[in-house]
Amino acid sequence: MRLATYLLPRVLAALVTLLGVSVLVFLSLRLLPGGYADILLGPFVTPEARAVIAQRYGLDQPLVVQYLRWVWAMLGGDFGVSMVTQRPVIDELLRRAPVTLQLALIALVLALAVGYPLGVLSGVRAASRRKRRDFGRVIGAMGASVPDFVLGSVLIFVFSVWSLWFRVGGYVPLGVDPVGNLRTMLLPGLTLSVFGVALILRTTRDAVLRVMTEPHITAAVARGASPGAIIRRHILRNAAIPVVTVVATYFGFLLGGAVIVEVLFSVPGVGLYIFNGLLNRDYAIVQAGVLLAAMVFITINMLADVLYALIDPRVGVSR
Amino acid sequence: MSGLARIARRGRPRPNGLTIFGVVTLGCLLFLGVFGPWLPLGDPSRIAAGPRLDAPSAQFLFGTDELGRNFLPRVVQGIRSTFLLSAVAVAITAVIGTLLGMAAGYLGRHTDQIVARGADILFAFPALVAGLLVAAIMGPGQASAITVISIATLPLFIRVVRSVTLGVAGRGFVTAAEVAGASTLRVMLVHLLPNVMGAVIVQLTYALSIGMIIESGLSFLGLGVQPPNASLGSLLRQGSAYLTIAPWMVLSSGVVLSLAIMSVNLVGDAVRDALEPLKGRPLT
Amino acid sequence: MTAPLVDIADLVIGYDTGMRQVRALDGASLRIDEDETLAIVGESGSGKTTLGMAAGRLLPPEAKVIGGSIHVAGVDVTRADDEALRRLRHDKLGFVFQNPTTALDPTLRIGRQVALAMGGRPPPEAIAELLSRAELNESERILRAFPHELSGGMAQRVVIAMAIARRPHLLIADEPTASLDASIREKVMSTLGRLRAESGASLVILSHDLRMVARHADRVAVMYGGRIVELGSVTRVMQAPAHPYTRALLTAAAGNERPGERLCPIPGTPPILESRCEACAYADRCAFRETRCDTERPEARPFLGREVVCHRAEAVIGAPTQARQEDR
Repeated sequence: MRLATYLLPRVLAALVTLLGVSVLVFLSLRLLPGGYADILLGPFVTPEARAVIAQRYGLDQPLVVQYLRWVWAMLGGDFGVSMVTQRPVIDELLRRAPVTLQLALIALVLALAVGYPLGVLSGVRAASRRKRRDFGRVIGAMGASVPDFVLGSVLIFVFSVWSLWFRVGGYVPLGVDPVGNLRTMLLPGLTLSVFGVALILRTTRDAVLRVMTEPHITAAVARGASPGAIIRRHILRNAAIPVVTVVATYFGFLLGGAVIVEVLFSVPGVGLYIFNGLLNRDYAIVQAGVLLAAMVFITINMLADVLYALIDPRVGVSR
Repeated sequence: MSGLARIARRGRPRPNGLTIFGVVTLGCLLFLGVFGPWLPLGDPSRIAAGPRLDAPSAQFLFGTDELGRNFLPRVVQGIRSTFLLSAVAVAITAVIGTLLGMAAGYLGRHTDQIVARGADILFAFPALVAGLLVAAIMGPGQASAITVISIATLPLFIRVVRSVTLGVAGRGFVTAAEVAGASTLRVMLVHLLPNVMGAVIVQLTYALSIGMIIESGLSFLGLGVQPPNASLGSLLRQGSAYLTIAPWMVLSSGVVLSLAIMSVNLVGDAVRDALEPLKGRPLT
Repeated sequence: MTAPLVDIADLVIGYDTGMRQVRALDGASLRIDEDETLAIVGESGSGKTTLGMAAGRLLPPEAKVIGGSIHVAGVDVTRADDEALRRLRHDKLGFVFQNPTTALDPTLRIGRQVALAMGGRPPPEAIAELLSRAELNESERILRAFPHELSGGMAQRVVIAMAIARRPHLLIADEPTASLDASIREKVMSTLGRLRAESGASLVILSHDLRMVARHADRVAVMYGGRIVELGSVTRVMQAPAHPYTRALLTAAAGNERPGERLCPIPGTPPILESRCEACAYADRCAFRETRCDTERPEARPFLGREVVCHRAEAVIGAPTQARQEDR
């Protein structure tokens, strides 16, 4: 009941957001040079095909009707056709989605595994010593400041000189050759995770410091609980609450397609596909890709709201 | 907590090593960016000033590029356009975002709903993926870069300003101004704006660092600043083609870009610490 | 003669504010015996919270002990190492805070928190028994609840139950009823008093409400300007205050007025000290002020069965009272 009253407005808001995103993307379709027929069939299209498309998509109809038809087509799974391959864009995107998902998961796991514990440690230390200059700040500032393409380029340079174990490019699917897959995916995953480490570390550090200003921590100290017990029982859980939101945002962006890293490391994921679509003026890919990225982002954030409600019992109580 | 303890919490933060490093670095980079064209560093666009892809030397501190151009003045040029482009985009966005956020928080109801949903919609587009769409519509270039930075940072300003405004709007001095017959615009500009400025300034620094990442990222993909102009991102793009034989191009522009973003972040941290200090209690 | 449970001697504590240091305690001395209830009364800023928290070294790091000493159950609190201090808090001390809903972890169920306070995994009957001692019935429902689902009074009873869980020798309650509805304040105070009496612990109540705590305490210590200005049995102090501040507190308190009589708030504000006060800190607000009060720091002296820090105690106690003293 509590969960329902909390989630229902959020689901509605997410649907409204989704609607807005689709309208924005739809309108941008119409703004494209060459018009919608080009998007579907490419610029070198015969007038006959143009007429067929115009009739099929009702380009002579009012915008509202066109929009509704467009949405209806998407609900039926029709996101347009790639000019280059003449195949439905959605098929191509879904085929590449697992690659991006794997990359996103590697980055997320690395970022959480490093960022969260370091954030907790850094926050607790900062509160105990009253020094603002500590390792958490240094790592946080550095990680948030080195763009992924700078770090990626440096890694590529380093590993092109000393090949070691990693490989740049030459992607093989996880199912075909797990070890070979990891050899190509770990470096881009690592590159993507650095910003996440900084983001999660900074958020966690702030959250820990904020929790440690709360009276219930003083109360636990007053009961003679040991620092370790206070961290385990009270701080970890309370500090996780704001981190959930940030992690969801980060994961959403990763899933939307880590364009630069995929381009840099030749990882055949969604981001690289959309980017190549842009280079080939295959706009149907760009449109569908952007729309799907935004949809995934909204969905992930919805799930984060659910998780949030599970961690924080106060959620959903009007105060 | 007694009154004395509350006073005690308002300490003056002392500058630490990281903050000093950030301020000094930012100062140096801004100096180079502003006065670069008049400094005796060499001509950034003179082709065959030296041998092609020449390693760093006393004459060419950052080496030369594939056309034999001196790379140091090109990096300085890059600093200039990266800072300028991001700053312009973030400044415009901050003004729009602050006004929208105040309107949403103060007027409430329908305005609030529309602005808040609008912010959600913009926020749902991952920055670089949205950048591909914008580049498809507007074509690659500076205007695209500015648009993408605005799309990515506008929600940040709206959300922060809105929540601060919500906290301030119910306070006595706002009600007093309303009762005294101040117009909505006057209440917002005279009474609310000073109270949201702190949050806006903090957000400004973070938005600037995000803006610089986006600008250089788009330029790296070839969608931002176009040749013959150079931004730090486009220099990296140029250098990455010669990564293995002339790594100094990527390394010099990459290090300078990272330092630039880091200095902005560090100054932002210092500003935030001064405005919203966070002090937890020790566990012993 | 046995050592007192708490022995605070000439304690001076300052808060670093970055620019200057503000003195919260300016030479406070106090002894607390076993098995007694002491009320420490003063306005906010008088130093009572600092004094209470200092007994468990729970002050924020900005607080610096400048002089004096605190001994609690034989432990030198200002010099003990972290582990000795943790043992002292764990075995001998119990704290009750002003706002019970923030003193409980918002993410843990009450049952888990009470169990933690009892030291691990007590049997369910033990938990229920503890709660019923704190006059909480329906223990199953309460144990399953989260803090925000309880009323203020219930939450404070939970906090009290947690404070007495390990049978402390000293209970320190900082404004335990200030955040509660007026209707239940008296009941919560009675519970606290009864639990103290049953366990034979000592109870220190920090409060701004002299009249309310007087009904539950054996002795009262009145604080002003970081010092204890009057200390004695409740009966003596309430019937004939010897410090002008105590007198003003009694006059200012609501519930003490005759019909048609005006309440007199104490004029002025408490001082903010930056160094040792070399005069009487109360002089500026005092109706009995004379030249000596501005030049000479009054020291604690025995006076008619109590201790008082006032040059003019004789005049104060002899002055006609404006308000009727409540019969106790």
